[in-house]
Amino acid sequence: MNVAPLSGRPLACLKTSVRRARQQKAFLCRSMATGSQGRASPSSLPDYNFYQLKDQKTKKLRSAFAVYTPPTVKTNPTTITIVNKPPKPAKRTPEPKLPGLIAPPSDPLPILHASQIARMDPTGARTALFAKTKQGVRVGDVLMVTHRRGGEPFAGVCISIRRAGIDTAILLRNHLSKVGVEMWFKVYNKNVAGIEIIKRARRRARRARLTYLRKPKHDVGSVSDLVFAWKKTRKVFNTKSSPASSKTAKGAKAAKKK
Amino acid sequence: MPPRLPARSWRQPPLRPFLSPSSQSTTALLRPLLPLTTTRGVKYGWSTLPKRAKPTRFNQVTAGIPAPSTGPAAALKRRERTTPIRTGVLAIKKGMTAFMGKSGARIPCTVLQLDRVQVVANKTRDRNGYWAVQVGLGERAADNVGAPMLGYFEAKGLSPKKKLAEFKVRSKDGLLPVGVQLLPDWFHVGQCVDVRGHARGMGFAGGMKRHGFSGQEASHGNSKNHRTIGTVGPSQGGGSRVYPGKKMPGRMGGQRVTMQNLPVLMVDNELGIVVVKGCVAGPKNSVVMVQDAVKKPPPPAEFVGMTRQVLDERFPDAFEALEAARERHLELKKWRKDKRIEMLLSGENVAESHEVVL
Repeated sequence: MNVAPLSGRPLACLKTSVRRARQQKAFLCRSMATGSQGRASPSSLPDYNFYQLKDQKTKKLRSAFAVYTPPTVKTNPTTITIVNKPPKPAKRTPEPKLPGLIAPPSDPLPILHASQIARMDPTGARTALFAKTKQGVRVGDVLMVTHRRGGEPFAGVCISIRRAGIDTAILLRNHLSKVGVEMWFKVYNKNVAGIEIIKRARRRARRARLTYLRKPKHDVGSVSDLVFAWKKTRKVFNTKSSPASSKTAKGAKAAKKK
Repeated sequence: MPPRLPARSWRQPPLRPFLSPSSQSTTALLRPLLPLTTTRGVKYGWSTLPKRAKPTRFNQVTAGIPAPSTGPAAALKRRERTTPIRTGVLAIKKGMTAFMGKSGARIPCTVLQLDRVQVVANKTRDRNGYWAVQVGLGERAADNVGAPMLGYFEAKGLSPKKKLAEFKVRSKDGLLPVGVQLLPDWFHVGQCVDVRGHARGMGFAGGMKRHGFSGQEASHGNSKNHRTIGTVGPSQGGGSRVYPGKKMPGRMGGQRVTMQNLPVLMVDNELGIVVVKGCVAGPKNSVVMVQDAVKKPPPPAEFVGMTRQVLDERFPDAFEALEAARERHLELKKWRKDKRIEMLLSGENVAESHEVVL
């Protein structure tokens, strides 16, 4: 204790005694919950709490174990980087020391889907076309899909939309030479060059999947005449017209044509 | 009742009366009490051969006899080629999706997530008879863990894990420091992995579902046997019996299924995912084991070295933490054994008792 300035500051001796009391407080007032906190432990020892095992009948403490609680770093990925090649060890920068355990998000699939969709559909046209909005495609609409691998574009009634992120697919039904034909198309596949709305359903279908259209009673039949009429309005029969000037659905305009 | 012999008559005469008095004092006095058993050794005849003290000496390498083809060492040697050089990881199957290529290719894939995967222990040849790494996944609340496992994790300095599994490795080079976290970059894109999972249980299934039998025809006189398996073996020429291993109806699924040589399409540390091509057994949120493919060449040595280096850089003081946790565990173990753990928790005489323990 510093006694020199006692004459100048008579209450200064209180400071040291209070300081000592503050140090002792940690030892004197230790409850069960904080029993492990203040103890001198090696710096490399992670934090822990005591888990108490109690006797089921007497409710008395039977034993206690240290349960370690390592610091957990939650990742918050917004964009993900897709690694296409194994990393090269020669040009590597040293990794930083991790502050604790890295806890990834519990549901990675939506983030993965979002990143894949951003890669496969940078303009957002395909996403907008099948969004659950008024402008979006609904079951019952007549669609036409142009395939990149050549061949005639396939048109048909959309029977179902299977929404599965990047794997979203549509099922079209048509009659070719009086035989019912159904085709699945992956919306975000690069092979699907374009999707056009030929005709919208008159009213909203009250089913998610119009499987009843397969029954003869409800079958729409061939949609070739609808396609013909649509082509006429778009003036596709004119040899010099450009498809970009045509008036079609909002999303279909942006859909890529080969 | 016949008269009993006096107790002194049970005493036997000393066998070796000319021994030194010091040895006589202990052995000779005890000898009458011990049961009479013949001691090992040749008591008669003679031989010029050296003593056959150690029968295993015939199997020594120096004896010119080939190394034994059975036993632990031979088993390890036999499995050397099919044991991966480094450990695998535990992962959670998060579901299937597709990987769309720029050229229009669509690859069905499975998303596996590594949730706080840590090395928990190492199994060594000396102690356990084989080399392996014990890996833990996720986290488990302490009240769902029994006392023995609480002590186990206390000694490791880790929080209780949801799932533990062992991955055998080829040699001690495959062992890892305890406590380090394995992230998806443990694998690289393009390599092949084996994924083990537990298939869904289907219950008792018939031959058509379980083994893909084609069943029987619908008509032509068939009566109530459309999905039965039909005949189960040849007649008299084949011995008039059902051969062992005949595929029959029975319990289907609910067993471990290994999908071999699945290419890794993507790894991402932020999401904690490894995306592999194709399907993996088991429902969503089931735990699977992912390890380097056995039937493909191992990852390049520089990649393996790099992953080890990355672990050391990310967790430089894993060894110190483990040692500190072990010491603490021994202390606490003593407290528990002395029934003084309550004192420790309530903080009575902590400083004093602490020194005593140390």
